[in-house]
Amino acid sequence: MSKHHYAMVMDLNKCLGCQTCTIACKKLWTDRDGTGYMYWNNVETRPGLGYPRQWDRVGGGWKDGALQPSPLPTMDDYGHAWEYNYEQRLYEGKKQPVMPSPEPKSGCNWDEDVGGMNADENYFFYLPRICNHCTYPACLEACPRKALYKRDEDGIVVIDQDRCQGYRYCIKACPYKKIYFNEVTGKSEKCIFCYPRLEKGEVNACAAQCPGRLRFVGLLDDPESPVHKLVLVHKIALPLFPEKGTQPNVFYVPPFNPPKRENYGKSIQEDPRVPIDYLIYLFGPEVKAVITRLEAELNKTQAGGRSEALQLLIGRDAETRYRIPPQLVQIQL
Amino acid sequence: MRTRQLPLVASAVLLLPSMIWAQTGVKSVAGQSLSVAASSASADNLLNGGPSAWNQIALKHVALNRTPPLYDTDEPAALEISIVDVRLARVSKNLLVQLSWRDPTHDAITLAEVPNTPPETRFRKVQTEADDRFFDAAAIMFPAKSGSGAIAPSLQMGDAEHPVEIYYWNATRGAMVMQAQGRGTTWRTGQNFPVNSTYQNGQWNVIFELPDLPAGTTVAFAVWNGSQKDRDGRKYFSVWQVLE
Repeated sequence: MSKHHYAMVMDLNKCLGCQTCTIACKKLWTDRDGTGYMYWNNVETRPGLGYPRQWDRVGGGWKDGALQPSPLPTMDDYGHAWEYNYEQRLYEGKKQPVMPSPEPKSGCNWDEDVGGMNADENYFFYLPRICNHCTYPACLEACPRKALYKRDEDGIVVIDQDRCQGYRYCIKACPYKKIYFNEVTGKSEKCIFCYPRLEKGEVNACAAQCPGRLRFVGLLDDPESPVHKLVLVHKIALPLFPEKGTQPNVFYVPPFNPPKRENYGKSIQEDPRVPIDYLIYLFGPEVKAVITRLEAELNKTQAGGRSEALQLLIGRDAETRYRIPPQLVQIQL
Repeated sequence: MRTRQLPLVASAVLLLPSMIWAQTGVKSVAGQSLSVAASSASADNLLNGGPSAWNQIALKHVALNRTPPLYDTDEPAALEISIVDVRLARVSKNLLVQLSWRDPTHDAITLAEVPNTPPETRFRKVQTEADDRFFDAAAIMFPAKSGSGAIAPSLQMGDAEHPVEIYYWNATRGAMVMQAQGRGTTWRTGQNFPVNSTYQNGQWNVIFELPDLPAGTTVAFAVWNGSQKDRDGRKYFSVWQVLE
């Protein structure tokens, strides 16, 4: 067990689906050979296929203490990286329009804004995803090379590139499909929770760049950290697919706002915009209690009171949203 | 908080020896000898001279076993490759080994060449074309310590007292020398070795140039079939053979 554990909370009520986090991550970590198709951070539309396609339905994780089987996603499931023929169009005088190649057929938010139907109304929301840096990582257990490990000081799960032989058992084992194989290096890669930034006192790139200010970062065991307050004190953030048994350390404030139109006098759970069953599918049955708590906080503020939980969720400034303990900052700038 | 069960890898390690212990444990080795020809051909001719250079050298069929599924989540795999044909020739300071086996599926690609320039300076990067393919491969393992007498290391990559040296060839990634001191400890030394591979009419023919190994040395062979998703311990393996 790690001494401390970094965690992230994402408030899904605030996500714009703008992919700024995705690009921040991509420019920083996966702008290399072999990494074009990888999005360590991606934002997908829910309900939807996800990235890689159907990742939530193929398997992996734990059941009764045993790893669960899963196929490897294919490149068609991720979406092949495509390039544009700028050279031909701009410099070689070719007449054809600028086109991507190979023809895009899937991607990290391919079915953007399609969503689903709740009675006769369309609904959707965005789900930003990174590695969950699980407390019981299935990937770590599956690796015969012991290439994956959890950092003792902060719980971040990383792959030792010297030990990795590219066997891909970890990809199969991860129920969130957040490990990627780099065919150029012959090794697997994943989100490193921006540990080199945290060690310099800088928050994760995806969080720092988020215009919606929906990400909160800190140690789960630090009573002063926003993630501790949201997850353990206010109890309004939940992990994704808790039944997979890995105990994620990324938590989500479930999407409950805005209310449906013309639902005056009804509670959110009586007439939800996003069907409660779908939220239970994603976050487990505890989501109903979380929505009840959130609605109570909302009602409190609408009656003129003050809600500490909602003030925290507004996250006005970086000091509110992030807390990187000084003892974990190893490099002074 | 949940109690974790015995890790799968550990349980597989416990299970495996009971299944193949009779063939793999640390023990005296008798029989299963391999004759080594003293060839007057040059190492280069044997390595690159084609099949005719090897015609005069006796061939031995070595039986291959298939490892059982190592993890609960592994799909079972059929015994598709039951024999590897081995020819050995001692030339000057080298031992040349030709391994031939039938494999109807040719699992090898040519990876795109990665330019020497840093990726951040290039508009285009080399891309991963597929993430779910595995490649044909073969390896020869022998004890790292010479003069270890009749003690053969564990077939599962030796142990701390009996380290092994592994000359590994992969149809896509080429040759590399590895060392190991037990299962899960294999590491790449960064060195490679001369190898020549051809695939023709459903048959692999791979010639390894090893350092000379004295008579009495134990060697074992392994073959991986990419289309059976072979990698790691998921493979075909022979028991120890003794060089004459």
